[in-house]
Amino acid sequence: MFKLNLKIALRNLWRNRGITFINIGGLSIALAAFILVMIYAAYETGFDKSNPNYDRIYQVGRSMQDLKTNYTPPPLAQAIKDNFPEVEAVGKMKSGAFELPLFTNEGTVFTQNFLMADYSATQMFKIKPDYGLEKPKGESVSLFLPRAYMQTLFPHKKDNKPELVGLASKSAGQSGEVIGSVFVDPHSNISFDALYISNDLGKGEDYGFNNYQTYIQVKKGTDIYNLEQKINKLYQTELAKNSGNDDRFKSTTIFLDPLKNLHLKPKTGSDANYKVLISVSVLGFLILIIACINFTNLSIAQAAKRAKEVGVKKVMGAYRVQLAIQFLTEILIQCIAATVLSLIFAELVLPGFNSLFLVNLTIWQSNSSLIWQLPLILFFITLIAGIYPAMVLSGFKPAAVLKGNFQTSKQSYWLRNSLLVIQFSIAVIFITGLLIINSQLKYMRTQDVGFKADQVIYVKNIALFSDPAIFEPIREKIMKISGVKSVTVTNSIPDGSKLGTNTYAVDAKKELISFLDVDFDYFETLNIKLKEGRPFSKEFKTDAVNSAILNESATAKYGLTNPLGKTIRGCDMDYKIVGIIKDFKAQGFEKAVEPTIYTLKNPCGNPKTMIMIKIEESKMSETLASLKNQWLNINPKDGDNFRYQFLDQLYGKLFQKQEQLQSVFFAAAILTIFIAILGLFAFAKYITNGRIKEIAVRKILGASDLQIMKLINTSFFTMVILANLISWPVAYILTKKWLGTFAYRIEMPVLPFIISALITILLTIITVSLQATKAVKAKPVDALKYE
Amino acid sequence: MIEIKNIEKYYASKGVKHYVLRHVTTSIKKGEFVSIMGPSGAGKSTLLNILGMLEESTYGQYEFMGEDVTTLSERKRIELYRNHIGFVFQAYHLIDEMTVYENIEAPLLYKKIGNSERKSRIADLLDRFNIVAKKDLFPNQLSGGQQQLVGIARALAAQPSLILADEPTGNLQSVQAEEIMELFRKLNKEEGITIIQVTHAEKNAQYGNRILHIADGVVKDDVQVG
Repeated sequence: MFKLNLKIALRNLWRNRGITFINIGGLSIALAAFILVMIYAAYETGFDKSNPNYDRIYQVGRSMQDLKTNYTPPPLAQAIKDNFPEVEAVGKMKSGAFELPLFTNEGTVFTQNFLMADYSATQMFKIKPDYGLEKPKGESVSLFLPRAYMQTLFPHKKDNKPELVGLASKSAGQSGEVIGSVFVDPHSNISFDALYISNDLGKGEDYGFNNYQTYIQVKKGTDIYNLEQKINKLYQTELAKNSGNDDRFKSTTIFLDPLKNLHLKPKTGSDANYKVLISVSVLGFLILIIACINFTNLSIAQAAKRAKEVGVKKVMGAYRVQLAIQFLTEILIQCIAATVLSLIFAELVLPGFNSLFLVNLTIWQSNSSLIWQLPLILFFITLIAGIYPAMVLSGFKPAAVLKGNFQTSKQSYWLRNSLLVIQFSIAVIFITGLLIINSQLKYMRTQDVGFKADQVIYVKNIALFSDPAIFEPIREKIMKISGVKSVTVTNSIPDGSKLGTNTYAVDAKKELISFLDVDFDYFETLNIKLKEGRPFSKEFKTDAVNSAILNESATAKYGLTNPLGKTIRGCDMDYKIVGIIKDFKAQGFEKAVEPTIYTLKNPCGNPKTMIMIKIEESKMSETLASLKNQWLNINPKDGDNFRYQFLDQLYGKLFQKQEQLQSVFFAAAILTIFIAILGLFAFAKYITNGRIKEIAVRKILGASDLQIMKLINTSFFTMVILANLISWPVAYILTKKWLGTFAYRIEMPVLPFIISALITILLTIITVSLQATKAVKAKPVDALKYE
Repeated sequence: MIEIKNIEKYYASKGVKHYVLRHVTTSIKKGEFVSIMGPSGAGKSTLLNILGMLEESTYGQYEFMGEDVTTLSERKRIELYRNHIGFVFQAYHLIDEMTVYENIEAPLLYKKIGNSERKSRIADLLDRFNIVAKKDLFPNQLSGGQQQLVGIARALAAQPSLILADEPTGNLQSVQAEEIMELFRKLNKEEGITIIQVTHAEKNAQYGNRILHIADGVVKDDVQVG
């Protein structure tokens, strides 16, 4: 029996292969999206999950009035360990973010993210160097590097003995010992590209040194809330003991943040990842559900063809449940095919997905749970997609269907209409959203940002050039290279990084404003426009001492109408304002340009290390080559490695998040409109099948083809208009909210709404007309001769 | 075999009853070959559907093989279909996706007949109706007469005691129609299968041994033939 049903199912699917193809194709695309979302979700929620103590590790954080931080003082860890038996282990870590060159005669690597950890922290996070880890003795530290770095530095290394590497630059003559290589788990919250392991960290530092991350591992069944209170109390007493009457920390409390939250929604950071994950999951789920319901619709649309079979089988002695199982089997076959196809689709789009979300996922290795999840999904989509058609089809009454003039009933008409409207509403929201995102991004790309990052390179450097006099010889040497237009040095480049802030006063009016320390030719290098006054110039001896330039926002903040020559006071210095520049968007479009003061000399700022060079476009490659060749001569303190990045690329990274959003919306818009059109296709078929006789009669009465086309299209046209009307306000509110996150944005455009309406209407008319043509072209006599 | 008393069927619309059948009372004995005749819209097919339990009467009693079937669960009814009743339709109603062989096999599968028994029964039927060569063809590859032969073979496969036929020759040319009617007579005479058919043609009715004339939902005449 099962074999026969299977055979008939396959014959049936083959006979209607057009619909079958659409059915399976639509479902598999949605399923592929869902699978991607699933492995993405599994990846995002799986950080450190391989750690056997995953559920028992917590990060200790401090909560101040308006700030939560995971920087904790080093003695706290030991105090926790000493006082609370339920804490099995404590670990401390400290990370350094500046770039440090490590070199041998064979090669050079640049560590971006080195981590110092005490021995117990490495044990807690199962960080295992390749040849094992001996507990460092006494005060000694052990340096470990990732395998790739070791390969670069020691390509011929065969043994596991420690090696020496040079640190920073050759001229500094420093070296250190590398113990060996270590595997860096990319799927862990603990990331580094150089690791120092020591017995203890922060020895001798007291409760004022909030520079360390503290992790604790608790025993099973520990009451975390209770422990949190106890640690907080301990912290308060220790604070009182150590820092006496310093009441800055009095209001600070301790909290514990579980390891499983650290990646997605740390208490001390942004939960943007979590929000992205939730919205992507909802999206994937929605698409799958809509595709399943669509599948249902397509199946029922063909019901008329199967009605006779049901009637005949029933009078031959088939129970309803047997028929229901038969239809479910057919749908199961299609779902299996869709699942297989979806895995192929998912595999195909995975590289794009990975580069979009900056992850490295694979379908099989990353998530072995897919092996049991997939059959489960298959089971559920078969149920969701199959239950309704199975019930409807198996419920046909033989007397009705065998009479010969059976028409599929009008039942569930409302359900299907609303479903179609909902599908189109979602599609319209995504299309409108996509169009508005596009316009904003286009605006951001074409709008004048106030400076030109093109052909400007940022040269990395660790030598300090805070005094213009020190930088001057270097500038002279660089300027001699042909193709170099201008050179400057600063302590922050316009790549979106936040500037330092300080209080400055003009005429006793105090304001907190940003400051940037620059060198001569800063404004020229970035082509920033001057509004009034003059730029910094070597001709004025005082510029290197106490001249300042403000931007427009700063003058506005102080309410200065005639700022030139006025004195601005801050950081124990009196500056004379010599120029006003026009605002430029160093932080991108999301934040308004901050009131900023630009000075050559600033005792409060970080040292100037970041060199920027403007190069002629036509001589770019040769100039870069010359710079590379002569760099040691130019910059003897850090000249071994000429490392540079293009400023426009760095600035372009500010757009990355929005471009990600754009891609997600693009995919969602295409998917939803595709699925909606599939649904419409089925629905139109269903409706025209039901109206074949009506169409025939109208034709006999003299209706033209066009009139009949109009007749069939009208109801669909109404539904699409309705969908547009529903989704416009939703799209308006959502995009308005999104645009609100930009300080510089377009006015809400009207065109996207009209365009998405036109797109949906056009697609609807084409789809419906394709179906209607068959009915219209059919000879009326064929439709009417039965009975 | 069949006892019906005061069967009525009407459709109520806007409070007005439209009668299809009124006060139909009759009994059909085992081994009879009954033809139901009458003009279009007289209620012939409705009566046959009620006899076949495809439709329910609005009023009246119906006993099938001594059992009251007016209120029968779907499961019980299907049991009757499996064991006692075979249907033959004007439009043949073969399943298009199944071959001739599979169409005949289907009711045996539902009846859970064993594999070897099934094979021998189908072989026997194919042989008897002279359609062995056609067994792997699909219905749309057969002529109307051949399709109806398959339809009858399918109805006989489960070895029913009653065959209900709704204008079995309505779509056939006269030569084929005669063959089918001969077949019915043979089945009735030689195997004692009770047959109830709806027909328009007086000629077809002559093959049976009893005619029920229906007009406007009422049995006008009940005559024995031959």
